Amino acid sequence: MPKSRLTNTVCEDASELASRSHYSAASAVKTEVEPDLSVHEGTSSRFLGVERATVSFGEGGARVCPLRGVSVMFKRGTFSLVMGPSGSGKTTLLSMLGCLLSPDQGSVFVDDVLVNQLSETEKTAIRQKKIGFVFQAFRLFHSLSAIDNVALGFELRDPKQSQRLEMAQELLDKFGLGDKSHQEPNELSPGERQRVAVARALAGDPPILLADEPTASLDAQAGRNICQILRNQVDEYGRTVVVVSHDPRWREFADRTITLCDGEIEQKENDL
Amino acid sequence: MKLAWQNIIHDRSRFSVTVLGVSFAVFLMVFQGSLLVGFLRAASRLIDASDSDIWITARGVQAFEFGTTLESRVREMAAGVPGVMQTDRVCMAFAVYRTPKGKQQVVALVGADPNVGKRFPVPDVPELAGEISPDAVLYDVSDRDLIAVPVLPTEVEINRHRASIERQIQGYGAFLGVPFLFTSYRNAIRYLGFGPDDAMYVVLRVSKGSSVSDVKQSLQERLPEVDVLTRDEFAHKSRMYWTIKTGAGGAILTAAVLGFLIGLVVVSQTIYANTMENIEEYATLKALGAPKSLVARIVLTQALLCGAVGSILGLFAVIPVIDHAKSLIPWIYMPWWLPVLMVLPSMVMCSLASIASVRNALTVEPGRVFRA
Repeated sequence: MPKSRLTNTVCEDASELASRSHYSAASAVKTEVEPDLSVHEGTSSRFLGVERATVSFGEGGARVCPLRGVSVMFKRGTFSLVMGPSGSGKTTLLSMLGCLLSPDQGSVFVDDVLVNQLSETEKTAIRQKKIGFVFQAFRLFHSLSAIDNVALGFELRDPKQSQRLEMAQELLDKFGLGDKSHQEPNELSPGERQRVAVARALAGDPPILLADEPTASLDAQAGRNICQILRNQVDEYGRTVVVVSHDPRWREFADRTITLCDGEIEQKENDL
Repeated sequence: MKLAWQNIIHDRSRFSVTVLGVSFAVFLMVFQGSLLVGFLRAASRLIDASDSDIWITARGVQAFEFGTTLESRVREMAAGVPGVMQTDRVCMAFAVYRTPKGKQQVVALVGADPNVGKRFPVPDVPELAGEISPDAVLYDVSDRDLIAVPVLPTEVEINRHRASIERQIQGYGAFLGVPFLFTSYRNAIRYLGFGPDDAMYVVLRVSKGSSVSDVKQSLQERLPEVDVLTRDEFAHKSRMYWTIKTGAGGAILTAAVLGFLIGLVVVSQTIYANTMENIEEYATLKALGAPKSLVARIVLTQALLCGAVGSILGLFAVIPVIDHAKSLIPWIYMPWWLPVLMVLPSMVMCSLASIASVRNALTVEPGRVFRA
């Protein structure tokens, strides 16, 4: 797959930034989360995923069950695409992987740690150190400029990082937004906003990137740029990327596609 | 913390409303505080102006303005108590004052012996010898319109006795709603019709080396039918009478508390609205791994920033207003520490105002970030 010049440089510079920050996300989380919770330590097949996970909302007649006994693991350094119709449980699965939702039954693993029994504070620490999020609605802070949004990503992962503005500027430069770094989100196009959001997600070098419909609000060209950028995170950095999307364009970038239907896995393509 | 500041200044109109609310509250609190401090100060001003150690009053006298005559033997007996160095007399009573043009006015006439105190306004002191007559009458500049004398000196009548208004003084303006006039003790008792040995207050100075409390105790034992108070005790009693027993202080204090509550409501509403408007951003922050303490800090910082800016504006507004108010309320007084002290309740007010907002920001479900 041809890589754009833009995304190649992004990866090189992000790597450089990560090494300059002397930051090790993995070690940071290991110190915050007790080792005895890593019941499957060393089993790479449980790096990221869920086992027999069931989630339900509501009670009685209003009870819905978006996921029913789903088991799926995502290997380190892979790009996975989760597809399926609306209401099939894609976002529920992503929420669990992002430590934002605990299953009623079953297990959730993030970086070899069983997370669904951790406290909220420990889950917050995992999100902070290990996971970068990209959202369909961008979720940028409207009162902050692009550079401050990205700098906030650095600040959240390492509050002592004094060079976060310089690092944020470099990231934006490499995403082609160097001249727009002081503009507020509402002054940027949707594609530019999503690139800022991806830069924020990458700030601090998280090993896992979770993206929810990241191209749904973008035109074709902007969407393709985002696909390329996320693909490069796997190829150049070995990050683990999970994208939830309806967009079939993602198939050509993904190593593996999982299709959900009615809360169950319907199909796994190129299963690794 | 940049997010906190950016969030509040991003919506400038809302920020202005919040700051205006805080300013208004600070303005009210400082203004009412100045009224209260000035009122307390005025209530004991003449007692504080004496250089005395001990005041003897008739039994049950609550305030300087409501004294009654003591038996003449009280002064003589007090003078004989060991440790008493000097005794002086003070009196105060209401009198009818008539200007040369025939205008009539009730006044509070105060008379005192020359040695009562250097700051006590009496004419027959060595510093004024030759400048004014020993039986001159003094009045405060803020009562000029009520006293209505075109030039100094001017002959007037007090209780149908001829009197000479000779000098203006400052800082002893009308407190009861009637002007104060000051003169020598011997002159005052003449105007008021008291006997030559009558006194309303006997004011004592204790000799060096004697203990004020010991002398006070000896006086009280020897004179059980009167009240013996240190200067500070009588000043405190007088202040408490005017502020607590008359309800005047309560009214001023209530207005100050209302100012605080108005500010609290205004700031609560705007901070709450601001938080709810940005609730999705707080959810995003939490999803990105912001600890609860950071989220709470952002909301609290916003409230405190509004408090700080509002307080500064409120203080800038109230200082000139109090200066102008002195022409209408001569006893209003803003000590330097009052505005400094008011910063604290305004910050408390803003912190209290942010409680509901912090609670909402902390309980927002971070999982909502995946909803488009």
